[in-house]
Amino acid sequence: MIGVVLETLLYIIAYPPLWQVLIVGFAGALLVAMVAIWFERKAAARVQRRIGPYWASPRLGGFMTIVADMIRYVTQQVIIPFTVDRLAFIVTPVAVLVITILPLAFVPLSPHEIYWPVASMEYSLLIALALTTLPPLLTVVLGWASSNKFSVIGSLRESYVITAYELVAILALLAPAAATLSFNIAYIVEAQHPIKWFAILNPLAFLAAFLAILMSTSAFPFEIPESEHEVVAGPYTEYSGILYALNMGGGYIRRFIYAMLVALVFLGGWAPYTPGSGPLTGFIVPSLIVLIKACLIVFAMSFLRSVYGRYRLDQALDAAWRLALPLALLGLGWSIVLAYVNLI
Amino acid sequence: MPAKVALKGVRRRGGLFEGIKSNIQALAVGVKYFIDPQRSTLLYPKEYIEHRPGYRGFIVFVKDKCISCAACARICPSAAMKMVRVTEVDPKHPDKPRQKQYPVINYQRCIFCGYCVDICPTEALYHTPFQDVVYESLADMFLTLEAFQVEPTRPSLSEGTPVVYEVDEERGLVKRRR
Repeated sequence: MIGVVLETLLYIIAYPPLWQVLIVGFAGALLVAMVAIWFERKAAARVQRRIGPYWASPRLGGFMTIVADMIRYVTQQVIIPFTVDRLAFIVTPVAVLVITILPLAFVPLSPHEIYWPVASMEYSLLIALALTTLPPLLTVVLGWASSNKFSVIGSLRESYVITAYELVAILALLAPAAATLSFNIAYIVEAQHPIKWFAILNPLAFLAAFLAILMSTSAFPFEIPESEHEVVAGPYTEYSGILYALNMGGGYIRRFIYAMLVALVFLGGWAPYTPGSGPLTGFIVPSLIVLIKACLIVFAMSFLRSVYGRYRLDQALDAAWRLALPLALLGLGWSIVLAYVNLI
Repeated sequence: MPAKVALKGVRRRGGLFEGIKSNIQALAVGVKYFIDPQRSTLLYPKEYIEHRPGYRGFIVFVKDKCISCAACARICPSAAMKMVRVTEVDPKHPDKPRQKQYPVINYQRCIFCGYCVDICPTEALYHTPFQDVVYESLADMFLTLEAFQVEPTRPSLSEGTPVVYEVDEERGLVKRRR
């Protein structure tokens, strides 16, 4: 009897998707978010003739500053104003993080079903994309729960921006699916195997996806919902301490997950490398290749912070409907042409 | 009733091609600075600015030159300098102690304008070429007559390297190590 219970417990604990979400998902996403924040600050400082974080650890390039920031966030006092909707105010940031990380469960990083059970799953791209659209809804809830004018305005802006750019992001990310006639991410990666990457074959969709992700995750120069000069911190105005850190980290993790999807769907995933069958060559190496590609995309997005100025809301929406949406539709059309002439 | 908002259409210069070109130019500038950063941050305790002669820094008093004319205290625009009355014994006439006035300074008020140094007829006041002196408390910033005569120690001198900011023809303001 006890043996059966122990076996069941062991099965639950050793269940691969749980480990993937826990280890790769939470720890990896946390590390990536920290590295992304660090790179963003250092890159912006380099371009703007500053040094950036430095004194906390000069040899590591000031990376410990980010760790110290995190410790500060964790130990800071959490102030809950008495005008807010208490339950929604506390629960939503936690839900943001959890729901933000959900799409990782449907993103295969290896073609083998043993190591990554979703690898053989049809519609994995569609499900992952559908799940990435959930967190912005919670941002709207954040604004509502705060019952603060800045929060409400910020949430309104967020809803405008996501309506425009989520559509573009999804259309652009579905373009490879139209070309390969499959929603299976592992199949799409295999289809672009040696160097037939969709970023090269279909640059329009790639550009549209990049632009839409940049905008819809409110990456730094385009942080229209929480622009500091206009609406104090947008939906996060009333938040402090760990709850604010959850919100902020959620944004970075969301961008990283989008970057992972782009790396798989447009940049060929583990493409130049042919995965073997062992745990090292079949699981760890392909995962690392995808991770590095995703990190490069996140770094490229962070770098843009130092080049571009912030768009106004109307400029951003104008660019979405007049520029990005036609671009995405053209990309989709070009994908259909690719499928028709059997280029893939 | 809120005022009626009239949104004017923004006229764009150039077409799509012009937009793409300017975006690529902006990115190129960013990449150029990213690869070859031209940093001008002063890493303060490790580096310090070596000022040119004539810099108006901390003021030091030479008591032997002072003729107690009080011109410095009168010209001081922020009333940082005050005269104090001191009883002195001249070695030549030990039986006749006499009263003299000497300036003292309050660095809480001093604006480092240098009027006192300029107006002193006997050059009894002079500037040191630095400003970065630290005091432990606000009360320490009222210098006594003894403290006013001692040149303060510069904290960055012990571990820092001197640095000069110069204007370069191509790169703009650049930091150079001496």
